[in-house]
Amino acid sequence: MTLEAIVAIIASGLVSGSLYALMASGLSLVWGTVRMFNFAHGALVMIGAYAGWYISNRGGLAKVLQPLGKSITANSEDWGLLGDLLHPLGEWILSIKGGFGLLAGVPLAIIFCGIAGYVIYMLLVKPFVGKPGADLVVIITTIAGASFLQNAVQVLFGPRYKQLDRILKGPPVEVLDTAIGLQEVLIIVLTPVSLLLLNLFLKRSKLGLAIRAVAQNDDFARLVGINVNQIYPLTFVVSSMLAGLAGLMLGGLFFILPTMGSEPLLRAFVVVVFGGLGSLPGTIIGAYVIGLIEQSSAYVFSLYWAPVVLFATLILVLIFRPRGLMGGENS
Amino acid sequence: MIRFVDANRRLLALAGIVIFLLIPLVVENKLLIHLAILGMLYAIVASNWDLTLGYAGVFNFAHLAFFGIGAYTSGILAVKLGISPWLGIPCGAATAALASIIVSIPAIRLRGIYVALLTFACSQLVLLLLLSQHQITGGQQGLTGVPQLQIGDFRFRESKFAHFYLVGALLLCSTIFLRRLVASDFGLSLIALRDFEEYAVARGIPLARQRLLAFLFSSIFPGLAGGVYAHFLIVASPDIFGFSLATLLLSMVLVGGVATIYGPVVIGVVMTYVSELMASSAWMSDVFGVSRGPVRFMFVAVIIVLTMRFFPGGVWGLIKEYSARSRLGGATADEERA
Repeated sequence: MTLEAIVAIIASGLVSGSLYALMASGLSLVWGTVRMFNFAHGALVMIGAYAGWYISNRGGLAKVLQPLGKSITANSEDWGLLGDLLHPLGEWILSIKGGFGLLAGVPLAIIFCGIAGYVIYMLLVKPFVGKPGADLVVIITTIAGASFLQNAVQVLFGPRYKQLDRILKGPPVEVLDTAIGLQEVLIIVLTPVSLLLLNLFLKRSKLGLAIRAVAQNDDFARLVGINVNQIYPLTFVVSSMLAGLAGLMLGGLFFILPTMGSEPLLRAFVVVVFGGLGSLPGTIIGAYVIGLIEQSSAYVFSLYWAPVVLFATLILVLIFRPRGLMGGENS
Repeated sequence: MIRFVDANRRLLALAGIVIFLLIPLVVENKLLIHLAILGMLYAIVASNWDLTLGYAGVFNFAHLAFFGIGAYTSGILAVKLGISPWLGIPCGAATAALASIIVSIPAIRLRGIYVALLTFACSQLVLLLLLSQHQITGGQQGLTGVPQLQIGDFRFRESKFAHFYLVGALLLCSTIFLRRLVASDFGLSLIALRDFEEYAVARGIPLARQRLLAFLFSSIFPGLAGGVYAHFLIVASPDIFGFSLATLLLSMVLVGGVATIYGPVVIGVVMTYVSELMASSAWMSDVFGVSRGPVRFMFVAVIIVLTMRFFPGGVWGLIKEYSARSRLGGATADEERA
């Protein structure tokens, strides 16, 4: 194995690891706090990518608004004072023919995912919280939710593939004679930053502390006056925003499809089990380990066998360490 | 009404069988017969899923893999080795049973969510292995050229009765088997483990053995059904392992009513009709102006969530509740269950 190959494997392993870390930390957060497993998490990744595309791309929202802009600029003179007010708006709509750009697309898509996560919680999770067998019921309802979202997106956007613009344009970076794309570098750098922010949020902010308190012991959290009924949806929102970020990154690398979330979701399952459900550091380390295992086994064996190795690993971990490699007794 | 039903069970069953045998004579439409066969095959898979999901309270994601393994085993034996389907279909059931044991050995030590994750991983593993061995399995395109069933010169696909009666008989055997099983001591022990595990174990019910047997018993008829499915459609496709079919079958179990067996049997056939006719009816495309496939899965998803939210007992649960209430003399729902 040459040095180049090793660098390439590490780079692609870090990219997959980053994506898995973003997804799996959201899953793990929800599991740790609400004690539910969100099978619609992959669909949220997909929603993030589509929302980002719809806002940023010229073929999305901008295209839909163009007729409105045209009719405003054409007719505003007849509308008197209201027309004078609306005229700049029409001009502005016409001027953004090329889409709103990623600068608007990325934050709005992440916010949109947060809202979607809230809706998922309210419709699919909340009615069952606290009832016997709720964890199984929520698996079922979130699977149904994922199926609904996937098919709804297919209806709305059609089967044609979409792709996000690259955030950084330019030649690839050379690391030890190996070319690595800028988008990949961005993902590798940005993920630890976002995870660090997540960590700060959980450790320093009042809401983050409340989430951790509920995760540790929700009865005592209630006793000290934390409104658990608000923390549950909040956790879903945070986790969905992380999923949305993962979707935006994925959408810049590959094509955007209604089913794009399923494959990474499977990997995220492997990661959370590997790292121990509910343990955030375990999950993040697990994500990078799994990413590197996957990419190196793709190199050593073949693309076909890499997932087989992965799932065999998962089954072995479940047999011998069902609480994960890092999970404690309580997680 | 209910008393009449209770008193004349055998007579009603006989009448039901006679009506069933007459259906293909009366119904001219080939599509309706085709869907009935498909529906009954799905009903077999769904009602067997009810054994692990409803009675044992274990979410076995790999259940459809048993069906798929049955289909692929029988298909591969016939296509690659030229073995008769009549031998291949039981072989498929045997492979499915073997797979169920392999899956259940790690699964019985885990609980709740971990079982779901493990069985999910197992079914994905089976799918990936199938896709990677594309010289044998046909990979993504599926295994084509599976021979149809035939006895002597009589070809099953040329007759509209043959598959209908064969699958009907299989569904009847499967349903009798399941109903006997859940009413037996074994079935009661599963319910005991589901409802109060610690107490049931303390009373001496071997948890691991009962779970393993539940997996095993739930895999045999889906394995057989899978074999028949492959020879009926003359193809074995990896779509069997997909999310869409799993959601559809799950909806049959839930809407029919968990832990009833009869519910998934009846609703399995009904849901097949509903979803397939939605996919093929012209008005759907007129109303939504889009391809119809996705819309029917959205519909199935909504049905699942509404059922879980408002009728957790499913259709069968509603019927039971209604008949218990309408019965004079104040018989309670508990007596009804007994």
